[in-house]
Amino acid sequence: MATWPTFFGRINETGFPASSDAKPERDPFQLRALPQEDVLFYCKKIDNSRLVREADPQARGACWSAIGAACLLLAVLTSVLVPNVASTLAGYKLQALRVEERQLLDEKRTLELQEAELLSPQRLEKLAQGQNLVAPFPGQVVRLNAKGDSAVAMVK
Amino acid sequence: MVDRRLAWLAGIVLVWGAAILFNLISLQIVHHREYAKLATERQVVAVEIPAPRGTIFDRNGQPLAMSVPTESVSIDPLRAPDLGVASELLALVLHMDRTALYGKMQWAHDHHHGFLWVKRKISYEEGQNLRNLRVEWIHIQDESQRHYPKGTLAAHVLGSVDFEEKGNAGIEQNLDVELRGRPGQARLLTDVKRRGIDSQSESDMKPGTALTLTIDERIQFVAEREIAAAVEAHHAESGSVVVMNPYTGEILALASYPTYDPNQPPQPGEDKAGRLNHAISVPFEPGSVFKVITLSAALETTDLRPASMINCGRGAITLFGRTIHEAHGGYGTIPMAMVLAKSSNIGAIQIGMRVGQANMHQYVRKLGFGQKTGIPLPGESAGKVRKLARWSKASLPSMSMGQEISVTTLQLAQAAAVIANGGLLVKPRLLLKKGNQTVPAEQIVRVLQPETAITMRQMMEGVVMPGGTGTKARLQGYTSGGKTGSAQIYDRVAKHYTHSYNGSFMGFAPLTNPAMVAVVTLNGTHGTAGFGGQAAAPVFRAVVTEALRVLDVPKDLPDQTPTPQVATKEEAADLAIADIGRGQPNILEDGDDEDQPGAGQAEQPTGPMVPNFRGMTMRAVLVEAAAKGLTVIPDGSGVARVQYPRPGSTLHQGERIRVEFAR
Repeated sequence: MATWPTFFGRINETGFPASSDAKPERDPFQLRALPQEDVLFYCKKIDNSRLVREADPQARGACWSAIGAACLLLAVLTSVLVPNVASTLAGYKLQALRVEERQLLDEKRTLELQEAELLSPQRLEKLAQGQNLVAPFPGQVVRLNAKGDSAVAMVK
Repeated sequence: MVDRRLAWLAGIVLVWGAAILFNLISLQIVHHREYAKLATERQVVAVEIPAPRGTIFDRNGQPLAMSVPTESVSIDPLRAPDLGVASELLALVLHMDRTALYGKMQWAHDHHHGFLWVKRKISYEEGQNLRNLRVEWIHIQDESQRHYPKGTLAAHVLGSVDFEEKGNAGIEQNLDVELRGRPGQARLLTDVKRRGIDSQSESDMKPGTALTLTIDERIQFVAEREIAAAVEAHHAESGSVVVMNPYTGEILALASYPTYDPNQPPQPGEDKAGRLNHAISVPFEPGSVFKVITLSAALETTDLRPASMINCGRGAITLFGRTIHEAHGGYGTIPMAMVLAKSSNIGAIQIGMRVGQANMHQYVRKLGFGQKTGIPLPGESAGKVRKLARWSKASLPSMSMGQEISVTTLQLAQAAAVIANGGLLVKPRLLLKKGNQTVPAEQIVRVLQPETAITMRQMMEGVVMPGGTGTKARLQGYTSGGKTGSAQIYDRVAKHYTHSYNGSFMGFAPLTNPAMVAVVTLNGTHGTAGFGGQAAAPVFRAVVTEALRVLDVPKDLPDQTPTPQVATKEEAADLAIADIGRGQPNILEDGDDEDQPGAGQAEQPTGPMVPNFRGMTMRAVLVEAAAKGLTVIPDGSGVARVQYPRPGSTLHQGERIRVEFAR
């Protein structure tokens, strides 16, 4: 708390209010001394070094109890709320994944359609004609791996 | 003073707290249900999980029809703030006519309709652009769109769907229940930004069942290509091809021309003939191909055999006051096998008369004519076979050569399969699998004795041999058999037969163990070039050659190049037919194109002599046969004991020598 001396800046190096006699020359800009300035601006020095807090085990225990209770409450609240929050976040993620799955399936179907269009016999025949290819004669193509679906073949 | 102020403050706080408490009680207890319902309505969204329509595959797993997800746009015209601005906005984003859209929106608004489809099946970009508008009266709904990635391929088999993805033709219509999935329902909990937090499935989505057809897209493509070319080349009205496995009834190709693209919905004023499946829906008088049925019945019910001599009356016969001629020239007394090879009308009539009305009717019905085959396609015709009680005296001779009866191309294929598989009536199958379940085949019924079927096969081989009517159906590297048909089309208005024809060919290959039967029909051909042997037989050859290659059927003949002499003879025969066929209204049936004038007597067989294999080991027999270019069918082990044909006899082209070995 500010005291008068500190408020008005009248403290000398020793910590006591400066005396008017101490200065031989008067500062022309310094204000005149207030009436009873030395009384009002007297700063009493108090030495608290010998003061010691009295031990209060009850208050200390209460403090720790409060801290413990707060922690416990926090833990309980966390344990109650975290699963709900996690569930909500997981719900968001799950829904997003479901939407993505559907989109991917749709995309897959679209790609299958494109593949089927590209493999249509009409288109293949046009391409073959463009390359001057002709259909092989019966028996001309010999499959080297007759059992499997292998496309390995030779032309006689 | 201070106490009084504190008392006031405490009072205010108390009242404030009481008000909060009161509101809490009101919200949480008194109006709990009401507010909970409101909250649920805002937070929980019912979501429909679309069920894709089942994919249709060919027998090799190639997709022929499949659905892909798409979106459609609808609006609530009652919530749109300004219809003029709204229509302009939508027209801009969706590339639509603004005036027409405004008219529709105004009409819906005036009639207090809160729902209006703006555009179905929009593109992905259009959907994104609409979403970016963030307007609450525009709704984007998930749908799926049916695609036929192969375009016109197998269009008549697959059919098509309408805007609601409901089948309206072909297999899409007949198996709509299986193909259509059942959409699921889910409740989605959303946050304030409409992001999903949690979802609960109310009913599971059941996708449509995938169908696997017996069709082979490669054979189907060739069949469609060839029939289209033939119809165009011969200026025919329509045509159809059926290729079928004779043992299982599996249809490998079913083509009809004219065709259409099932991706395109029918346009107003479009000719519906293009969407008609001529192979199953359009019956026609079969003409000479039906002689196969006559002769089969004769082998079963009479003592006639291929070598039995038939008096063909030198080209004309008068029955019940009606004179029937051969197409050209005439034949004297020729073997029954030659009656088929030459497609003699009078010979067929003579044989039919021996069979008798009751037997004929019985065998026609037994071979599946006059009744639907049961193929899972809509609009199948049963054809027409008159009840026996309604037959006139002229019915038997007419039917013997394929008149007074109407059949479909598919029925002919079914009958040809009976000959090819040894006498069993196998119902045509179009569906191989439903999902992963194989569709069981229907019960097979024996309708002909195996000997009859084998004999018929041998006689039908004569049709494609030189001197027969179907030489253009002869294959390179494979034996084959068949029968041509060229039936005049009856003009119902003028009440007489015209010079437009149904040219057809039904056959099978290879001869001993047929891998397939194929029937080709061209409707409304003109002139001699439109006869079955000229117009349909080449289609048979092209399709079957390709199909045999695709199915990897081993060759049973050495490759031979046809001699140009054969082609020259055919051309001469064509001219003769044209001259004779004109201006003769009493001819019920034209013979076929390769009939040669004056060919009344049997042709002298030409070919290599059969060597004597008796006493030789199998290795020696095979070496000698290979050196002479002959095909031997060995049976047993040891040394050759018996062989057929006999040593020294002439081997017909394509004929194999059966040698039995014993120790």
